[in-house]
Amino acid sequence: MKQIFNFRLILFTLSVFLFTCSEKLDEEPENQTLVNEIDYSSEELAFGTLIGAYQNFQSVGWEQIPLLSVRGDDVNAGGQGDQQGFADTDNYIYDNNYWMYNVFFENWAEDIVQVTAQISALERFRDGGVDSDLIDQYIAECKVLRGFMTLQLSRLFGDVYKINTLDFTQIEVATKDDLMEWISDQMDEATPFLLDVAPNQRQDLPGGITKYTALTVKAIANLEIEDYQSVADATGEIINSGKFQLFNDYYELFKIPGKLANENIWEIQYSDFGQASGENVSHLYAFYGPQNWTAAVEEATSGWGFYEPSLKYIKFMLDRNETVRLETSVLFTNDGIDEILTDPDYQNLPAFVSNTTRDGDIINNYSRANFASGKHYLPSNQLTPGRTAYGTNKNYTVLRYAEVLLMYAEALTRGANGTAGTASEAVNIVRARAGMPALANVTSQDVMDEKFAELGMEWGVRFYDMVRLGNFDELSYDGRTFSSDKVFLPYPLEQLDLSFILSEYANNNN
Amino acid sequence: MKTKFSLILLLFFSLISWSQQIEVSGVVTSASDGMPLPGVSVIVEGTSRGAVTDFDGKYTISIQSGQKLNFSYIGFKAQSIAITNQTTVNIALEEDVESLNEVVVVGYGTQKKADLTGAVSTVKTEAISRTPAAQITQGFQGQVAGVQISSQGSPGETPQIRIRGTNSLSGSNNPLFVVDGNFFDNIDFLNPSEIESVSVLKDASSASIYGVRAANGVIVITTRGGSYNKKPEISFSSYVGVQRAQNILKMANAEQFTTFALESGSQAEIESVEQAIQRFGRSRVNPNIPNVNTDWYDEVLRDAPIENYDIQVTGGSDKISYSLGGNFFSQQGILDMKNSFNRSNLRARIDAKATDWLKVGGNVLYSNAVQYGDEGSAWQLTYFAVPILPVFDNNFTEADPLPYSDAREIGYRGSQNPFPLMDNADRRGERRRIVSNFYTDFEILPKKLNFKSSLSYTYRGTNERIVQLPYFVTDEYQRSIEQSSITLNNGVGENYIWDNILTYKNNFGEDHDLTLIAGTSFRDEYGRNFGASGNFSPESSFVRNNDKTWYIQNTSPDSRTAYDGGFRNYGFSYFGRAEYQLMDKYLLNLSFRAEGTNKYDETYVYLPAFGLGWEISKESFMGNVDFVNYLKLRASWGRVANDAVGASNPLSANSITTVFNDTFYNGIEFETVEDNISWEFTDELNIGLSAYLFDNRLSLEADYFVKDTDNLVINVLQFIGTGSSRQNVGGVRNKGIELAATWRGQFSDDFSYSISGNFSTLDNEITSLAGQPVLETGTAEARQRIIVGQPINVFYGWEIDGVYQNEAEILADPAAQAAIAQGTDISPGYFRYKDRNGDGILDAEDRTYLGSPIPTFYYGGNIGLNYKDFDLNIAFYGQGGNVIFNSNRQEVIRTQGRNIDADLAINRWRGEGSTNSYPSSEGYRQVWNQRLSEFFLQDGDFFRIQNIQLGYTLKQEKLPEIRLTLTADRPFLWTKSFNGFNPEVGFDGRDTQTYPTPSVYSLGVQVKF
Repeated sequence: MKQIFNFRLILFTLSVFLFTCSEKLDEEPENQTLVNEIDYSSEELAFGTLIGAYQNFQSVGWEQIPLLSVRGDDVNAGGQGDQQGFADTDNYIYDNNYWMYNVFFENWAEDIVQVTAQISALERFRDGGVDSDLIDQYIAECKVLRGFMTLQLSRLFGDVYKINTLDFTQIEVATKDDLMEWISDQMDEATPFLLDVAPNQRQDLPGGITKYTALTVKAIANLEIEDYQSVADATGEIINSGKFQLFNDYYELFKIPGKLANENIWEIQYSDFGQASGENVSHLYAFYGPQNWTAAVEEATSGWGFYEPSLKYIKFMLDRNETVRLETSVLFTNDGIDEILTDPDYQNLPAFVSNTTRDGDIINNYSRANFASGKHYLPSNQLTPGRTAYGTNKNYTVLRYAEVLLMYAEALTRGANGTAGTASEAVNIVRARAGMPALANVTSQDVMDEKFAELGMEWGVRFYDMVRLGNFDELSYDGRTFSSDKVFLPYPLEQLDLSFILSEYANNNN
Repeated sequence: MKTKFSLILLLFFSLISWSQQIEVSGVVTSASDGMPLPGVSVIVEGTSRGAVTDFDGKYTISIQSGQKLNFSYIGFKAQSIAITNQTTVNIALEEDVESLNEVVVVGYGTQKKADLTGAVSTVKTEAISRTPAAQITQGFQGQVAGVQISSQGSPGETPQIRIRGTNSLSGSNNPLFVVDGNFFDNIDFLNPSEIESVSVLKDASSASIYGVRAANGVIVITTRGGSYNKKPEISFSSYVGVQRAQNILKMANAEQFTTFALESGSQAEIESVEQAIQRFGRSRVNPNIPNVNTDWYDEVLRDAPIENYDIQVTGGSDKISYSLGGNFFSQQGILDMKNSFNRSNLRARIDAKATDWLKVGGNVLYSNAVQYGDEGSAWQLTYFAVPILPVFDNNFTEADPLPYSDAREIGYRGSQNPFPLMDNADRRGERRRIVSNFYTDFEILPKKLNFKSSLSYTYRGTNERIVQLPYFVTDEYQRSIEQSSITLNNGVGENYIWDNILTYKNNFGEDHDLTLIAGTSFRDEYGRNFGASGNFSPESSFVRNNDKTWYIQNTSPDSRTAYDGGFRNYGFSYFGRAEYQLMDKYLLNLSFRAEGTNKYDETYVYLPAFGLGWEISKESFMGNVDFVNYLKLRASWGRVANDAVGASNPLSANSITTVFNDTFYNGIEFETVEDNISWEFTDELNIGLSAYLFDNRLSLEADYFVKDTDNLVINVLQFIGTGSSRQNVGGVRNKGIELAATWRGQFSDDFSYSISGNFSTLDNEITSLAGQPVLETGTAEARQRIIVGQPINVFYGWEIDGVYQNEAEILADPAAQAAIAQGTDISPGYFRYKDRNGDGILDAEDRTYLGSPIPTFYYGGNIGLNYKDFDLNIAFYGQGGNVIFNSNRQEVIRTQGRNIDADLAINRWRGEGSTNSYPSSEGYRQVWNQRLSEFFLQDGDFFRIQNIQLGYTLKQEKLPEIRLTLTADRPFLWTKSFNGFNPEVGFDGRDTQTYPTPSVYSLGVQVKF
């Protein structure tokens, strides 16, 4: 009897407990932010969504901008004995299996998708009651980000995805010309909603995208399709705004004093927050830096030596009697200086052609290259004390007013009508800052030379100019031969494997 | 304490003083045919004294009057005879497949081995205790068909285990361990001496009663208990040994390296050799090479000690049984740094018959382990460090603590030297575990119905402290105090499992035996972790050599970060099993589990299983088949579900930060694709055969299984970017055959042997990807694929058709010419790839499947010999059918200035006719030769002597039983072609320099009172 009683007791406690146990199954998992829990009425989160879009671009990997620019006649790979695929690319030998191609294509296309996702999220904030004008502005900024990234992806690979929706069934591969038209239209859509200030004057987001960023991107897109009148209109509007001036000191423009300079239309921003240790957001400038140096600040580490200004560029600059622009663009090793001196035409070199920079860093010889990029160099004495990695705290310049002036000038010399003065005036502003005498009646060739001198080593501006103009002779230098079939990199094998759309497109257009 | 000690003393004296001995002898025969039985063990009950019958079934043994003699032999019923004054005792043992009467632990209960219909294997505890290792799973390797172990060399690390293949791409493939009712995925806290039994529930019909954690098989472990009515037994055991790396990979020496570098055509490499000569001098033997010849593996490896001490006390009265024990294990790593593992365990178990209807009991195990982890990156650095770099460079006069050499000084990109990292790392992990189980067992209807309620509780405490210490060589080669850091990760976890089980057993007439089990199980899993990190501040009281100062408060405040995390999972299940035997020869097992969790939207999942068995040997038509003692056919089917697949990530937003104007801005990034995940189900059919043949000398188990996972979670790829949505739309099949056999025999009276072996095959194949042509895995440079019809992660690349020997061959090959026209440079000494589609162009279309990372067969076995007091056991293991990706060789894509393996350095192409399978030194550096090809993939086949143990057991009347052992664990390894360090690279097939599994040579002693 006693046992039966015990058993009933057990059954009773059990059934009570079972009931409470089952309820536990409805508990939510811990520690997750669910989308439907996001407060879409929050202006702060809407701003955070915009920041999320910027972050995609600002987190660009070290190998990506070099891949965009290495093929120009201003710069060489310097990758002797390492990163053969990068050196091959510099020599116009392409391998669709090379990892950098894939990483670039994958990251940039993905970032474009991400920015598109941010745009659609911003629409939800609009529905949630956040100020519609603010949402318009944020979406316009996203469109500029997306347009610029699409532009660079297309410059590198030609016909690529046009991504303006998250519905992947609607995405197609568009021709490069179509894409440039689309980017130009996107910039037109964005411009009215963007802030009418220089980016460094933005209070909410210093250095963020404004109307003038959109106009610059529009100008570059139109330059690519040789719509020079549109180039002149867009750049003319920027010049006429009067909101931009060239930074007085060309050498420092690319260094700490140039951060958020009034000349800069767009920078990727980095910071060590002025602290000797702790948080640090930086670019891997070591890729560009000399492989061996004796830094003025002893602890400062050197670079990898993968980005070497070409001898052609150096001689071009010496021929023009350039001073600060050559000094700023090139770091010389003694081996490099000896190499220049082997040419009887270059026996009297200016004093700044030295292996010691004006900030006292001594560039020692190293095996990979003879010269290193000066625009990606931060003098060791500008490092925050305690920081040692090459280039820490330096921003990466994306677009600047000098390029706007020169695009304007080029468009005018190619027949466009301008509203912001003559081509010569625009060119001479740039020359004056560089300590170069004024020119009269500049020709297209003068402008192209000026772009070469002013924008060398920057974002492949030179390479894409020469490609656009079909000036393959300039690109065929130092034993390389460029031809029309070398303009675009092949689609990465990875991406062809991944995407039916891309592989089908490739098959149909070969 | 004093009484306990006197007790031991008393016991000892009783053994030597009380010696009213009788000599008993006799013959043991088989009751069925009257034939003598050799090899029957005759043991004095309650002692370890015993004898074995000789070939004529005869035995002789000393015994005190009043004691009992136990006779036992496999396949026969044991008998026990009380000895009063007899001196001759002849026994006829009745046949009864005794080992089949062996009770096997299965899910929530036990079953007679004869009644099993699924695939259940047991691991012998001797096999585990023979292996000198921290982890008992290391000893499982090669012991059970269908169970694959990838061992680990680093002290404290856990071997990877797979039972019958890979079922899941996104979830875990680790089996569930059930230790006294507690669920674990890692049993690194157990010492071999603590284990009483290990059952491996391999197939779904056996495992599914454990529910959603059981998809990858279940290993049920019972810890040691005492016995009722048993004298106390105190056993002490210990071993000490040394571990030594085996099959150390041969790298190029300075001469081979220099030759290779000079042939490379790379100016940078040639200059580096020159710089090394300038810095370190010329070799007097060969003035063209630097006067340095560092064998980096020799430098980083060391012989390391391993030791274990263990004491166990067991016994019991008629109401209470008990078992207590403690042990200490200690092991240093073979990597020459602060790398070790120590573990101390304490354990107690008590079972009591409180009343005639109530039993209660409980056990508690406490484990405290400290691991100093290895610096994993050291292995890669060691591989890559050039031999023309010394370990130390005395040119660095300012160095503190040591003048580590720096490869950058001779022109290489990195410093290469692994020692700064090894010497200046302190990676301490403390792990504490409490594992306990308490139960009450009510007998409601005597022998028929009982109810058991048991509560299992586990506590996990982990305390990790990773410190990177400062060092200084030069301004450019240092870790300053500001760069030195401390990272703390603390975790606490508690799990409760409360099981309530009602068991009903009855016979209906002669022919019907029925057992019914019904139960509920409630599971509560809780975890919290907290971590912090910071960089040390030079202004603080941090001192490099004093770990008492390694605290977060000595970091600079602006460098500190912290995080926390946690989870709480609940599960609630109902389950039941019916076991029915008709006429003792037709078997039916049914089981069912309904399990609910709070993990997925679909709360409950239902898992049925059934099994059928037929004991053919009991049929009358088998009566004349003499050599068959026992034969059973089994067939079973079951369904399991895997809850280790991550839950659907709801479309969420992630926090990000970025910088504007030297200030952090916080933002959010919205996910672009959404998951849709639910349970993965695996259905498994198992057909098996169990047999005892030739007077039970040969036992045989054979199984065939097919496992289908039809709603495999796979990535549904977005064609842009890397995003993908995880959905239950794929399929994978694993099938295989498993054979296990044991033969026992005897050469003479005191010389017996046993041979056992097992062999398993595994055929893994993707059956569906929901229409996607392929999923890419691996890396862009070393592509692996998931594709229908191929095993998971099959390697995909180009076949090699030899090496171009001269220009004429290149000219004659259209594929080479097409590549040259595209600007690729091709020279003699470059690979000639197979143009599979024959279109005269070598491109992506020419790729093919180059092998699977999953071994297709594996086998193991034991040979045991017993001669008088000596015993020798040799265990072996092997596997094959897989390929291993030698990623270190392919690393040349990223870094050229580094060492190469000696095989490549010696066999490189160096002129016409020299080789048709290796590139030239120059070619090795060119993209053309770096694509994933057969050159970078090597056969994974290996065979290893797992363990050789020689034992000597001293059994003397007046002394405690003493056993001495000499063990060589994993002493020999043969690989077919793999040119790496360790062919056990884990289940992904990529050799990225894993910690090698050392050989262990040890000496052991065991004393039983």
